[in-house]
Amino acid sequence: MGSTLRLVGFGPTGWGGTLLEGAAVTLALSICAYLLGLALGALCAWGRLSGGRAVRGTIDVYTTVLRGVPDLLVIYLFYFGGGQMIGAIAHLFGATGFFGLNGFMVGTIAIGLVTGAYQTEVLRGGYLAIPKGEIEAARAIGMGRLLMLRRIIAPRALRFALPGMGNVWQQVLKESALVSVTGLAELMRQVNVASGSTQLPFDFTIAGFVLYLALATVSGGVFMGVERRLAHGERMARRQRA
Amino acid sequence: MAKPVVIEAIGVEKHFGANKVLRGVSLAAREGEVVSIVGASGSGKSTLLRCFPLLEIPDAGDVAIAGEVLALVERGGRRVPRDMGQVQRVRSELGFVFQSFNLWPHRTVLGNVIEAPVHVQKRPRAECIAEAEALLEKVGLADKRDAWPAQLSGGQQQRAAIARALAMRPKALLFDEPTSALDPELVGEVLRVIRGLAEEGRTMLIVTHEMSFAAEVSSRAVFLDAGIVGEEGSPEQIFRHPQTDRCRAFVARHLARG
Amino acid sequence: MMAELSFLLDVTRQLLGGLPLTIELVTVSVAAGALLAVAMALARSASRLAAVIVSFYVFVFRGSPLLLQMFFIYYGLGQFAVVRESFAWPALRDPTFCAILSLALNTAAYTSEILRGGLASVPAGAIEAGRAVGMSRGLLLRRVVLPLAIRQALPAYSNELIEMVKSTSLASIVTLMEVSGIAYALVSATYRAIEVLSCAGAIYLVLIVLLTRGVGWVENWLSPAGSRA
Repeated sequence: MGSTLRLVGFGPTGWGGTLLEGAAVTLALSICAYLLGLALGALCAWGRLSGGRAVRGTIDVYTTVLRGVPDLLVIYLFYFGGGQMIGAIAHLFGATGFFGLNGFMVGTIAIGLVTGAYQTEVLRGGYLAIPKGEIEAARAIGMGRLLMLRRIIAPRALRFALPGMGNVWQQVLKESALVSVTGLAELMRQVNVASGSTQLPFDFTIAGFVLYLALATVSGGVFMGVERRLAHGERMARRQRA
Repeated sequence: MAKPVVIEAIGVEKHFGANKVLRGVSLAAREGEVVSIVGASGSGKSTLLRCFPLLEIPDAGDVAIAGEVLALVERGGRRVPRDMGQVQRVRSELGFVFQSFNLWPHRTVLGNVIEAPVHVQKRPRAECIAEAEALLEKVGLADKRDAWPAQLSGGQQQRAAIARALAMRPKALLFDEPTSALDPELVGEVLRVIRGLAEEGRTMLIVTHEMSFAAEVSSRAVFLDAGIVGEEGSPEQIFRHPQTDRCRAFVARHLARG
Repeated sequence: MMAELSFLLDVTRQLLGGLPLTIELVTVSVAAGALLAVAMALARSASRLAAVIVSFYVFVFRGSPLLLQMFFIYYGLGQFAVVRESFAWPALRDPTFCAILSLALNTAAYTSEILRGGLASVPAGAIEAGRAVGMSRGLLLRRVVLPLAIRQALPAYSNELIEMVKSTSLASIVTLMEVSGIAYALVSATYRAIEVLSCAGAIYLVLIVLLTRGVGWVENWLSPAGSRA
């Protein structure tokens, strides 16, 4: 037990710093991928709700394919496929061999693209959950489209979509581990490396569990906090009724 | 000679936490009797009715069906049935009609009616179906045989629930505010069915807020007041000439409203 | 053009060679996971201690990456001599067994939550009506509670099944040659990642579309028209 603590700790022989660095990379990667997915999802939800037939069809294909193909293959596609394309270009200039891409970028794009498909459904559902009367009321008092979007639709849709958005975040956090296949030094990769060099895979996977669960719990708390703030009005109403 | 007692409560007490809902209620219905139980909200009427099939377990006192006491024993500081088999058998000899119908949403109307006869009483399926069809005819739902509960109005659901209770060939029928969850215009159709059953001479206990209906169909009425029997007598007595002040006040309030 | 087409056909043919293993991984782990999930749902209602243990299990397996769980089972457990000398070692050093075990443990955690949601959705009145006609616990469970809970849980479970099909691709990381494992090998051998991975993706997509159809059919069969109206 003492030796385990020394190994995963911060001393001269400890891997603690390395693991924490890995966790930081995991967090940074997840945030970037999540933001990309959110932007994509918002765009696609909007297109899905108000676009023409061609736009809707394209978005349907995007969400169906990205939700129906393993994330690992999507990561491989960007990692090796991107390398393949750069290789082809480099070949024109006389270079040979295999070209890998930056893992962080690959991970961000691949996971962003995958979760964008999920986020599309979540945000669309959030919009559809807004009671029709609320939008009618906004129209009745003469709100313009943009004002209505900003003051009524966005906050209300967000309120309904937030639980789903939280789920997507948890999904991103876990999927980021797959980016370890590109060699990016995120948490899963560091657990792997530390296990290999010390021959103590048990200790380091346990440390990995602890760190992932800590990340999930803390960030989940943030989402819950936001959710609670957004639901403030309804909560007050409930309390007054009770 | 008096007819035999079919269903009986003997000194039943029930409390939920500090709230004493029943404080020693004794009540019996003889064969063919229709006993209506009335009282203000919170007087314990529904709780009392739910004690008969042991949907609630009395904290003291007993219930007996056809002279058979449902044995309760003390276990871990709580009263529990001594023999769940006995409870289940006795339950299958009673027909309970709920305020909120409680039809099984995943079975058709016919499926609801034959469920217990086939699976609890283990009678032949064909016989159960024939009997169920006759019962649906009787409650006016023959054409809804294959409909799903969600497709029916409240009144139709309650009539289907009554058919389901009858399919058990029950020794007694227990109605727990059968029309309270219904829109006013649907109350009549359900009361008509219950009245028909009363005229057949079935043994029934009816908890209800429909005072004039209770006055008309019952052979005896019980006024429950704060967990005890406040007054008991003929419907004529309870609804026209109550003897106690509290019963008089209750009846005046409710007849005025109804 | 012809060469291109025959390359794609050849790749697809090779990838399909991994399909039986992919399907085996899905079916065995889903079946085992479902059994475990039902056991956990029952344990949860049986005792408070069991409920706490199940909650912790669900928390760990839903809150951490499947890849880490697989790594833990395949590499982590072998760290100890006790494990290496135990009767379970032949199984635990087998990557197929480890992949199935981790997939099953993972899906059990998600499924038990789905099941819990389904059970919570069963109307209290339906249960009470069952008790009132004298149903025993077992009969009530079989005729009322489970049919209603399963019907309610099916859409969520359908999504879980889709996730499981996709998750089997992680088995390639512990050296299994299912569809993704073969795809990886072909990418390394041919350097034609885009073509190979597109073919592999298409295979998963078809599998998932078929699965979705199948579940949709079961759903229809369980809840005939109008019963949800």
